[in-house]
Amino acid sequence: MIYKCKNCGGNTVYHPDKKKMYCPHCEGTDSEEEVKASSITECANCGAPLEVSRYTSACRCEHCGCYAILEERVEGEYTPHLILPFQISKEKAVELLRKEFQSRYFTPATFLSTATLEGMEGIYVPFFLYDYVGTFDYAGTGTKVRSWRRGNTEYVETSWFRVERNLEIDFDRIPVDASIDMNDAMMDLLEPYDPGALESFQKKYMSGFEGERYSEGMMSLERRALEKARRDAEELLRETLSGYTALHADRKHLNLDRQKAEYALLPVWVYYYNWHGQKYAYYVNGQSGKVLGKTPVSKGKMLAYGGTLWGFLFLAMLLAKMILEVL
Amino acid sequence: MRGFFRRFKVWLIILGILAGIWFIISGLHSAIGTLKNGSRQNTECTTKERVFDQAGILTEKEEEKLRKLIAKRERQTGCDIVLVTLNESLKEYAYAQKEYITEDKYVMLYADDFYDEHMFGYDEPYGDGVLLLDNLYREDDGWAYSWLCTTGKAEGKYSGRMIDHLLEKSYRFSLISPYYGYKAYINQFYHDMNGFGLVNANFSVPLLLVLSLAAAIGFVVINRGGKAGGRTTDARTYVKGKKAKINHREDQFIRKAVAQHRIQSSSGGSGSSRGGGGHHISGGGRSHGGGGHRH
Repeated sequence: MIYKCKNCGGNTVYHPDKKKMYCPHCEGTDSEEEVKASSITECANCGAPLEVSRYTSACRCEHCGCYAILEERVEGEYTPHLILPFQISKEKAVELLRKEFQSRYFTPATFLSTATLEGMEGIYVPFFLYDYVGTFDYAGTGTKVRSWRRGNTEYVETSWFRVERNLEIDFDRIPVDASIDMNDAMMDLLEPYDPGALESFQKKYMSGFEGERYSEGMMSLERRALEKARRDAEELLRETLSGYTALHADRKHLNLDRQKAEYALLPVWVYYYNWHGQKYAYYVNGQSGKVLGKTPVSKGKMLAYGGTLWGFLFLAMLLAKMILEVL
Repeated sequence: MRGFFRRFKVWLIILGILAGIWFIISGLHSAIGTLKNGSRQNTECTTKERVFDQAGILTEKEEEKLRKLIAKRERQTGCDIVLVTLNESLKEYAYAQKEYITEDKYVMLYADDFYDEHMFGYDEPYGDGVLLLDNLYREDDGWAYSWLCTTGKAEGKYSGRMIDHLLEKSYRFSLISPYYGYKAYINQFYHDMNGFGLVNANFSVPLLLVLSLAAAIGFVVINRGGKAGGRTTDARTYVKGKKAKINHREDQFIRKAVAQHRIQSSSGGSGSSRGGGGHHISGGGRSHGGGGHRH
């Protein structure tokens, strides 16, 4: 299905700045109406076949440029509980990317050119959000070592302590991306998203963007959520154990009790750049604006800059030496 | 290309400033030299020659160039500037004067005597001046020694460190050709006499090349941007109330033990001292300063 403008028939999309449905043709707002397609793989506007993968839930029609939503993939078992609507517009995302990489030295000239940035797309990435109540039980022996000197003698005092801790940690919405296509490490680095901005799912927020349904199940992904929770719990425990020179644990047990798991769509801007046969991916968090991605390196530029700097540095040092020698 | 230079604008400015400072100091030295020093007063000096290439390592043309440079620098420093090269053992020469003397001081005796015999000195005989004796001959200990003999106001100006620096610099340039070594000696002497003698940066040029290369490589490595981005979550990001609830906390003291041991007190310190810079009275009863270099 697509959202059409009641006034002009254009494709209405969700506008992150206006926080409303918006028609780019007549600039009308909240003028949308649903138009169903006859088939899931067909554009409801022009009838052209849509290029969809197994997991696509929203995409852009290559033919007419309309944004289509594949209803079957946001319904039934695939109905998201929550969605975080895009808060960063494409213009803003482009600006953030430019700002981040502009000052880097060795990027090729075509990187971030207006033409290549056209291909940047906003994607609603499927996530599972897990809630846990964790209880951390710890018992062990701690030592503190203190040393001082008097005259020619050094004293070393070692004290032993019985150390016990019992912590209760309330984990709220630990996100794990449920998309096979998205790189897990990258998605982790894009965090955090503000949970306060999450809303009950409405498919109109997807208009104007691409989307995916989850391609990995909530149970099989829980391993990653537990890993994150365990890592955080360990650190919180460690914070309560400061001051000891050494610790030896007799008992250490973390129990993580899942309270809830929700299926949510979170916003990510993705930009791909090809350089000498290598594909570089850039991500912008569609809510916080955090930018991720490795700088593509032009070897020619690297040598030119490095060599020039070497020359300048050497000349500067030589001049400084000459000055110091005659002062 | 324009972007390329914009990135290095700061460096171009730094280079410009440094070059400017260098020109200002050079100009200052030249001005000080012209204003401060009058004409030569010594009429008793036995020779007009300043370049005594007894080892025969300079060409006629090079000698001529050095003489011209010396004439100019003498006016600017108010000092006689003498250059002596040798290629013979000074052992017998030294032992004829002293009962016991180390190899490094042979050149000192010879240089002092040479200066005194010719009655060098810009203001008066045995007066202001400097003499570099470069002996190519390797003495019994396998070293070739050179000596810088300073007299009068040059003796007052030169510290041991400055002498070390001048001889070291002259030696480094002589590796290109002896002529450059002696030219460096004359020019450095001129700058030292008209400067403050504050710092003598003894960095070799190859060292600077390596240092700047290391810095440039560091710059490239840092700016290659190997990392996609840093982590922006911490242990509290997904914790409600941003902290753990502590149900139970106990730190109960059990026991303690004290160990003691005596500290070996370290005695004395070791230091190293550099030679040169010593003031002394020459065989002819004249005061000289100076310092040596060996290679």
